[in-house]
Amino acid sequence: MNLFLQGGEVATENEAPQRADVWIVDGTIKAVEVMDVPEGARVVDCSGQIIMPGMFDSHVHFREPGQEKKETILDGTEAAINGGITGVVMMPNTSPSIDSPTVVKRVLEQGAKCRIPVLTSACITVDRKGFEMAPIAGLKEAGILMLTDDGDAVPNAALLKRAMEYGTEFDMFFASHCEDPQLCGPRALNEGPVSYRLGIQGTPALAEEICMDRDIRLAHATGATLHIQHVSSAIGMETIRWWRDERGAKVSGEVSPHHLMFADEDIGDYDTHYKMNPPLRTREDNAALLQGLKDGVFRIIATDHAPHTEFEKSQAFVDAPNGITGLDTALVSLHDRFIARGEFGWDLIVKRYSAEPRRMMRLEVAEVAEGKPADLIVFDPNKETTFTKEFMKSKSSNTPFLNKTLKGSVEMVVLGDQVLLER
Amino acid sequence: MARKDFLDIVSLDRAEIIHLLDQAVPFKDLFTRSVKKVPALKGKTVLMLFYEPSTRTLSSFEVAAKRLSADVTIFDIPHSSVTKGESVRDTIDTLQAMRADYIVVRHRLSGQPAAIARQTNASVINAGDGAHAHPTQALLDAFTLREVYPEMEGRKVVIMGDILHSRVARSTSTILEKLGVEIAFCGPGSLVPQTRFRRFTNYEEAMKWGPDAVYLLRVQKERQDAPFYPSDREYHSVFGITEDRLERINDEGIYVMHPGPINRGVELCDAVLDYERCLISQQVENGIAARMAVLFGLKPQVS
Amino acid sequence: MSTALDPSAISTAIGRLADQIFLAAGGSSVDLIGIRSRGDEVAERVFGILKEKGANVRLGILDISLYRDDYEHLSSNPTLQSSEIDFPVDGSHVVLVDDVIFTGRTIRAALDALFDYGRPAKVDLAVLIDRGHREIPIEPRFVGKTLETDRMDRVDVSLQKTDGKESVEIITQ
Repeated sequence: MNLFLQGGEVATENEAPQRADVWIVDGTIKAVEVMDVPEGARVVDCSGQIIMPGMFDSHVHFREPGQEKKETILDGTEAAINGGITGVVMMPNTSPSIDSPTVVKRVLEQGAKCRIPVLTSACITVDRKGFEMAPIAGLKEAGILMLTDDGDAVPNAALLKRAMEYGTEFDMFFASHCEDPQLCGPRALNEGPVSYRLGIQGTPALAEEICMDRDIRLAHATGATLHIQHVSSAIGMETIRWWRDERGAKVSGEVSPHHLMFADEDIGDYDTHYKMNPPLRTREDNAALLQGLKDGVFRIIATDHAPHTEFEKSQAFVDAPNGITGLDTALVSLHDRFIARGEFGWDLIVKRYSAEPRRMMRLEVAEVAEGKPADLIVFDPNKETTFTKEFMKSKSSNTPFLNKTLKGSVEMVVLGDQVLLER
Repeated sequence: MARKDFLDIVSLDRAEIIHLLDQAVPFKDLFTRSVKKVPALKGKTVLMLFYEPSTRTLSSFEVAAKRLSADVTIFDIPHSSVTKGESVRDTIDTLQAMRADYIVVRHRLSGQPAAIARQTNASVINAGDGAHAHPTQALLDAFTLREVYPEMEGRKVVIMGDILHSRVARSTSTILEKLGVEIAFCGPGSLVPQTRFRRFTNYEEAMKWGPDAVYLLRVQKERQDAPFYPSDREYHSVFGITEDRLERINDEGIYVMHPGPINRGVELCDAVLDYERCLISQQVENGIAARMAVLFGLKPQVS
Repeated sequence: MSTALDPSAISTAIGRLADQIFLAAGGSSVDLIGIRSRGDEVAERVFGILKEKGANVRLGILDISLYRDDYEHLSSNPTLQSSEIDFPVDGSHVVLVDDVIFTGRTIRAALDALFDYGRPAKVDLAVLIDRGHREIPIEPRFVGKTLETDRMDRVDVSLQKTDGKESVEIITQ
């Protein structure tokens, strides 16, 4: 394999993209500089395009085992590749839950058959029921780093505290889906003028904020490392900032593209493509979260990729399952909504959607640099992508971007000595 | 009207509303004839799809449809069969096979009548969906108020009770607002959300505002998981029309309305029903005329 | 387009109708019921003349929008107005009044509407203009003027109160 990516700009996490060619031989990057075409290399014209490390998504729901109709691990990874993502962390709310070494092994075996690395988290409590602690030591041995009951919060504070006290010894970290179970109602949408207009009981941002507060205090008191998942509320984000900066708590936060882009108003006439948990809040929250991302309050971006069948999403709004897919669309949508409009640059994306997510999972950061293994993508900011069902590789197509055309395109994905994608 | 469906008040403009109210008048005039029927909808099928129980709305629609000479079919849906996973599409397939011209839908989930309307050529009428809308109720309320106040502009109406869960509050406030009426909401703080309307959580304050009519809502204990107020008895003493309050209402000639069914001893005491400015039975009577006007005014696309 | 009747011809025709009805009534009571729209204005004017002659006559207005047989072909339903028949119709001698009789369908609808009000002893039909081309076996007893028209012609009647002017025009298609 002798590949020469010519004419593009290379993006890193610390500075704006610089003009450089990239020469890859047998899966290793031999050079990153403006140079002549090396002898025998296959030239790919990357003029006007950006070359950056592969993205890494720390929050995806592949519905295997148990709900393969919506997504399989294989389809999910293909969707990731299609979106420029070269590594993922699965969430454990499968059926059975990923709450034991056996299920972990099974999932990782399936993952090994895919074209990109697949990691997984595991449950804090058995079957995420919130009563018994999962076999944490066994999970650690099976390779687990992140413990989460994602899909739900742990309702019992005492149990969570004890799990943190116990689990921290194993050098694992906790991740929280924050939601007070008594305030959350039918978990349909944000409480506010939109829920009033549509006549559906809403979930106040309070429900998330109260639980975030609780989990962060528990982590701080027990010395645990905590990662707050899919933050949707501006006030909640401030809680993370305060505890981290004022009190030195080991807490990080993650934001999804949809909580930066959409608000409850977008639900319109009961459109379930805007229904997820935590729900879309207000435009003010969008703005505040975006600023928080720019200011570094959020450690990472993650999609919370949540595939559901068309049938399920065509149910009545209250009954339809929560979630939208994200892997196929995330990078292009972040470019279309933010980079193309000058809100932030590629350095932020490389940092928050590639480097930091890998650091959080204690992996080698992917870099487009001499001597590093090839783990990179080529992005064309001037082409457009239309997200038809046929274009997207996820088994499901429950995304608000369905059939929409956005600015930007993932043109190529290279991992090791394999070209995983080339358009 | 030339619309296919009648789903909510929000999508109607003032001119359309006034037209509908005017259209209801001749229908009401028919009630005094010995033959109350007209052949306007002869040969048409009206299907009643009531996923939620309701004797009064169902029978009001049934009478309205029959007085227009339509054939009425009541689709009996046992409440236990309304389970999760029941797709709107499954229902539509059944309905298409029945070739109904008009479908009257009442559903516990907001947005369902609209979902059905999108997928069928029949004219869909929303008979109440979740906490979202009850447009025919709003129409008959506006019609009733207009009978006592032909010039509605500038009048004041306070809607009292469980606003949060009430589709009647939403639709009736919207229709009256479009007709120039000033609206206020009043009730327990836990049941009156912040909206664009004036908000009172105290009965006396609401009455000081000087309403021309008080619109009482049924307080719906059955929809509450955690309680919103301590007890019906306390509700009655704090917000209900007690006999004392009725005396003052009587002195000021304020009209009293209620969409029914009433909770005696909660929203109001029995004496309210005998108060001469209580419009509850007019509302019921006008319901039939209003529903006839709606049925008459829609255009199904069924060939 | 041709003017079939000018204002004075219309007055004459209305006068003829009133005379015919007066003669036929022979002093008994008669209920004139005009069919909206324009049939009501004709009925009003006939009523005025009959009253002057001292006839025993009552006036009512019938709105037949709810009885039409042609809704399917309209993009939106007609605007309704109430009928105004303030007297009982049972056992009475009704004279239905309309401006033009053409296919006869309007009169048929009017009969349906009328019979939902009660059971008259006798019903007669008076029309200002008979333009022929019947599709229903209905014939007026009293006619102001008969006009020769083609099936596809349009006959436009304008009356003072309803239209602000007086004319009957035939428009050839």
